[in-house]
Amino acid sequence: MMTQAFIIAFLSLCGAGALLAVAMPRTRQGSILAVTGCLAAIALMLAGSSTLISGENFLQPLWELPNLGRMTIGIDQLSAVFLLVTGLVLFPASIFASSHLERGAISNGSLFTVLLLALYAAIGLVFIAGDALSFLLAWEAMSIFSYLLIVASRQQEDGKANSGFLLLAMGEAGTLAAVLGFLLLAAGAGSLDFSAIQGTSPGLGSGLRWAVFLLTFFGFGVKAGLVPVNFWLPRAYTAASRAFVPVLAGATLNLGLYGILRVNAGLMPATDAAPGLVALVIGTLTALVGILYATTDNDLKVILAHSSIENVGIVVAGFGAGMVFVATNHPIPAAIAFVAALYHLINHSFFKTLLFFGVGEVEKQTGTRDLNNLGGLIKWMPLATLAFLVGTLSISALPPFNGFVSEWLTLQTMLRSTELSSAAVKLVFALAGAGLALTAALAVTCFVRVFAMGFLGMRRLNENRQLLEARAGTLAPMFILAALCLGFGLLPTYVIPTLSPAVAPLAGASASDALVPPFFASDPAHSALPSTFVKDFHDLGAQIGQSFLPGRGLVVLHRGGEENPVVFAMSTSYMAVALIVLLGGTYVVIRLWLTRRRKLRQRKRWDGGIRRLLPEMTYTATGFSNPVRVVFDAVFRPTTVEDTRETVTRHFRTAILREQERTHPVDKLVFHPVRAALLRVARALAYLHQGRLNTYATYALAALAAVLVMYLIQASW
Amino acid sequence: MSPWVIKGIRTGIKTSAYPRNAETAAGVTPGLPVSSQMDTGAARALVDICPTQVFTIINGRVNVDVDRCIHCYRCVRGVEQPARWDSTYEWGVESNQKKNLLPAFRKSINICVVDAGDCGSCLNEVRQLSSPYYNIHRLGFFITPTPRHADVLLVVGPGTDHMSLALQKIYNAIPTPKRVVAAGVCALSGGVFAESFTCSEGVTDILPVDVEVPGNPPPPLAILHGLLVAAGRKPPVDLQPGSSQANATGE
Amino acid sequence: MELGLKEQVKERWAGHAKCRYDDRSDLCEITCARASLAELCGWLFIDKDFNFANLIVEEMPAAWRLRYIFYGGAGSGWVHVLASALCSEETFPSIVKFVHAADWHEREAEDMFGLTFEGHPRLGDFILHDDAWQENVDPMRHHFDPQMAIRYRKPAADWRPRRIVQESGAFVMPVGPKYSGVTESVHFLLETVGEDVIRFMPRLFYKWRAIEKIAEGKPADEVLLLAERFAATTAFAHGLAFCQAVETACAADIPPRAAGLRVFLAELERLRQHAGAIQEICESTALAVAASEAGIFEEDLLRISGELTGHRYLFGMLAPGGLLLDLPDNDCRQALNKSQAVLKQLDNLETELRVSSSFLDRLEEVGYVQQQVAAAYGLLGPVARASAVAHDLRREQPYSGYSQFRFEVPSEQEGDGYARLRVLFSECRQSVHIMEQTVAAMPGGGVLESFKPREGAALGWVEAPRGAAFHWVRLDERGFVTRYHVAPPSFANWHGFHVAVENFAFQDFPIMLATFDLSVAENDR
Ligand code: SF4
Repeated sequence: MMTQAFIIAFLSLCGAGALLAVAMPRTRQGSILAVTGCLAAIALMLAGSSTLISGENFLQPLWELPNLGRMTIGIDQLSAVFLLVTGLVLFPASIFASSHLERGAISNGSLFTVLLLALYAAIGLVFIAGDALSFLLAWEAMSIFSYLLIVASRQQEDGKANSGFLLLAMGEAGTLAAVLGFLLLAAGAGSLDFSAIQGTSPGLGSGLRWAVFLLTFFGFGVKAGLVPVNFWLPRAYTAASRAFVPVLAGATLNLGLYGILRVNAGLMPATDAAPGLVALVIGTLTALVGILYATTDNDLKVILAHSSIENVGIVVAGFGAGMVFVATNHPIPAAIAFVAALYHLINHSFFKTLLFFGVGEVEKQTGTRDLNNLGGLIKWMPLATLAFLVGTLSISALPPFNGFVSEWLTLQTMLRSTELSSAAVKLVFALAGAGLALTAALAVTCFVRVFAMGFLGMRRLNENRQLLEARAGTLAPMFILAALCLGFGLLPTYVIPTLSPAVAPLAGASASDALVPPFFASDPAHSALPSTFVKDFHDLGAQIGQSFLPGRGLVVLHRGGEENPVVFAMSTSYMAVALIVLLGGTYVVIRLWLTRRRKLRQRKRWDGGIRRLLPEMTYTATGFSNPVRVVFDAVFRPTTVEDTRETVTRHFRTAILREQERTHPVDKLVFHPVRAALLRVARALAYLHQGRLNTYATYALAALAAVLVMYLIQASW
Repeated sequence: MSPWVIKGIRTGIKTSAYPRNAETAAGVTPGLPVSSQMDTGAARALVDICPTQVFTIINGRVNVDVDRCIHCYRCVRGVEQPARWDSTYEWGVESNQKKNLLPAFRKSINICVVDAGDCGSCLNEVRQLSSPYYNIHRLGFFITPTPRHADVLLVVGPGTDHMSLALQKIYNAIPTPKRVVAAGVCALSGGVFAESFTCSEGVTDILPVDVEVPGNPPPPLAILHGLLVAAGRKPPVDLQPGSSQANATGE
Repeated sequence: MELGLKEQVKERWAGHAKCRYDDRSDLCEITCARASLAELCGWLFIDKDFNFANLIVEEMPAAWRLRYIFYGGAGSGWVHVLASALCSEETFPSIVKFVHAADWHEREAEDMFGLTFEGHPRLGDFILHDDAWQENVDPMRHHFDPQMAIRYRKPAADWRPRRIVQESGAFVMPVGPKYSGVTESVHFLLETVGEDVIRFMPRLFYKWRAIEKIAEGKPADEVLLLAERFAATTAFAHGLAFCQAVETACAADIPPRAAGLRVFLAELERLRQHAGAIQEICESTALAVAASEAGIFEEDLLRISGELTGHRYLFGMLAPGGLLLDLPDNDCRQALNKSQAVLKQLDNLETELRVSSSFLDRLEEVGYVQQQVAAAYGLLGPVARASAVAHDLRREQPYSGYSQFRFEVPSEQEGDGYARLRVLFSECRQSVHIMEQTVAAMPGGGVLESFKPREGAALGWVEAPRGAAFHWVRLDERGFVTRYHVAPPSFANWHGFHVAVENFAFQDFPIMLATFDLSVAENDR
């Protein structure tokens, strides 16, 4: 009942905060948001963790609706994980939002506070919905509040309403698809209740299953940003205020992934490998397209948005792999795949929120997000830079940070495909693995570029503008998330067993035994592992820490089956210790011993003897990514327009103007038609609502209601 | 690429015997005037004819300040009593500023070559050092583009105004221990450019020079000797025996 | 000189220009009003196909005199366009609208004298770097006081490169002044977005020694030392041009033997300089064996020069009126024999380079200069000849008896790096061919004839290894130099170099630099 209390606390905190925000003057909005937002986030975390700790699912039927059945809320282990993560993200995000609210990010503070808290509530409700109706209602509320939040924050005028509308239109299209999917499921089950649907879904025909899969996959995929329905995402992120965009990236993005996982792995476990393969392929493509765009763009927010798309791709690829393993009856690899995907999803929430905090602060201080105009920020904001660096290291999947662990797991999952029987499936896995590896490499390029061009080197624009270190309201949230990134990187052997129960029902097996062998346990517990194996690992020191650390061990181990006797082992914990010892040792040996008598002199960088190195003489972000762009061009063939202006005669040039128009085939073949179709729909809708928000919201709800009514009619037959 | 390998082998070894033995080929050095005893009239004639005031008469002896000789040959061509001329090439001299250098390097050295306004010939002679005839790599000498890796700074040219800041930056960028070799009369005294308002009278005005190599331009072997002196592998020579007083008082 | 030019000027420019024709030197002096200066020069350059050689600014006691020197192809002589203005007026019309080749000449005059050229789009920050010197330093003016200029030194603190590339993410990549192994000091600013050079801006004159200023007030034989030593890789050619200017100004004749030896030595220097250029091209493509081979040849030729004349760069040979030192016929023959041996090996090297595909890949279609562009920029020497602009002063305005010798002027059509390399090899052959003829027909007699100095001014020109060099000398009655101005070939070729490098990738840059065989010392003076 603890869980229930926490949920009630969460909802009432959101409500109370919203009421206070309406009642109190403008100057107080920041503190209201900080206090109630943080408390609500804590309540959310507690609700999630109490479920995780007790290991018991929580189910609470609410009221009965005529003809629609019972509305239910429930928290199973999967929802609990999402709740916990959302709480962990919303906590720092509230501090950040309130701090930037006070610093003028938003003009209408109370409206923003109300909407943001409402959005929190909606997000929480999506996770705890126990039946299709509550789920869809919460989802719809979430969509509308997101839209209103983008529109309400009038930081920059042009294009904002448009982007918000695009977000809503896309979200609505996705929602309608998902509703249809749900209805198909519900029709099969005769009930909207999740448990009922789950019980009957195995009996569905394959055509129906495909329909449900495609509708929900792409329907929820809109929210997550899957190719080809991802073009709205960078635009929405750039339009959203810096106070709000971390929530968008860290919390609402996860909803789409939750939807996909809930339906296609939870409610309707795969019986056929094909949908899983579709998910795998789409995920890999999404990852590649996302990172390529991210690497070649110069707007920090756009880069991060495309990088979100990339990470969503990795997560979905993991889901797909899990679905294939489930369908082919390999429960343990399936569990590993789901754990990997879930782990990466969590990591992405942490580091992406962290990075958006950093970008928000940079934008606030410098007035620009263009990497070509930034540079040298480390001199002015060393602490914020440090936290941002943690974020970039994590997102680049470098040990000992969290991104490394989940990407390692994901790539290992791909290697497990050797156990599958079909050669075609193996090939798809191999290609996906290669694609993901390429993605990982490009991600490093991308974020080396972001960090180097933004924070190192010389300042390129507004050299005289005063810059300050970020304030506590920004630094605290950044460091909270940086600590989480490091923690989730250092201690995967504690995270994996926590995630394992959440995915066990989806996969039919637990991953913790397979991934985290109990090297800390005394002998009998090792029975699952061959004794020589254990001995070898003990000789390597896998039991170090046994006497003073709880848990199963510090080594993540990945073992193929009998027919595939390979072993992959990794321990970021030991790695970190070794790194510290090695680097520290090197420092001691070189600096304190070998060169202790030498005076260190610091010299300016060597600049070729030039009189003064100017900022415009340093490498730009465009220049840095040019090799990637050139490779990209060979595939995508942009059109370059060059125009040379001359004075006096044709040999005196005054300007060389060069414009690159990139119409990528992906754009041409997929985005443009989809966008055109959607805009047509949107225009029709716009015509209907004649530019007035509330009317539009009514229409959207009416559409939802109409679908439900159709369902009612069908159900009452 | 095998034809090139064969061609290379066919060419055989061209490398100079120097520094182990003397180089005897013709045309490797333009030589230098040397101090000598002369009758007063002839000595006066030399003092008058030399455009860069190389000669001074001290106690009836014609003294030579090799730091100033620009190889115009007017003291040997078309005069009745030519100056004494010596076709040596070991011209590495310890700078007046730094006497009794201690060897600073034990192993191979990296050389940063800087052009401070030379006429192209000094630099061309430095370029020859990498050709098979001189092949300084066999001696563990390497040319490096960046002062950060350099041990020795080899400067040619008089030190133009536009280059002086760069010269200082380069000198500062070289880690210690370091040696500066100034090659060519322009680097030592400004040569024909000394009186220009855009040139220093040699880079000695800008940098602390350790080893000086006269000549306009110094032939590759002379530069090589200067480098060997800087590396502490050859003793410096004294090109003006007994004339240190004259140097100290100047003209 | 076709007789028509004088009449044509009279006809077309009646009332604007006066024409004076001197038969002995085949020189047509056109005195032109400032208002029609640009059109007249444009008419000569574009319609009459004259080449632009030099712009000489002289500060006469009461007036500025500007002398634009043009020369025609074989058979047509020299045209000097004169314009003057009172000393108080410092503005002249710019001729760059029609004569692009005069671009840098006008910039130089602006920097050195403080003159303004109306209509020139880009004056200033040329020889005197704006981030090193204040405005209003006019070093070549008579009243210039270097002490004051240095004492009140005030460089522009906010100097920024003049960027013209407007593309998101474009930046300026600075190279130098110290940028590679053994290289002359020069600074490049490359505008780029990361792979290709979109625009190339050289910042020269880091090595500016102001030799023209040093020369003023010095006797001619001391200025000769400067002429030899400002760009000593081609010392003999520049020394020769200077001597010829002095000899022309004083109407002195030189002994025939001196003329023959001068040709012999000039061609020896050309051969040696071209071997060096070939060495640098091979080295820039990292073809180690070929670079070593060419290095051997260059050193061989340096030694031949050293053995023959005592100095590896032929210093101390020239004197106004002839040569300081007579070279025995036998020595010349030996030097010739050795040079012929080197040439044979050079020919072998060329044969092998022509079949090294990896080498050709890096030269062909790299650093392309079109014929029209080469002509418009007034490119000179092997660079121009590789772009089918086959001018050669030895043929068109012969000096020192070149008219007696049979030789070809090699030229190529392609205008790329490989064409320039081929021109170098062919010219090596022609040089040895000329040396053979001089040795075979070496006149006897003395090599030095003294002459009486007199007041006057003249232009001396040679086809130096890198292209045509023009030395203008004005002497006072004692034979002291009052104005000395050099237009070296590298000055023209640096001006056009940007055409070759733009729109090529960075990694080809050193190769293009090597194939242009540019000398910074020669340009910076
Ligand atoms: S060769 Fe040297 S010493 Fe002789 S006159 Fe010339 S500068 Fe003077």
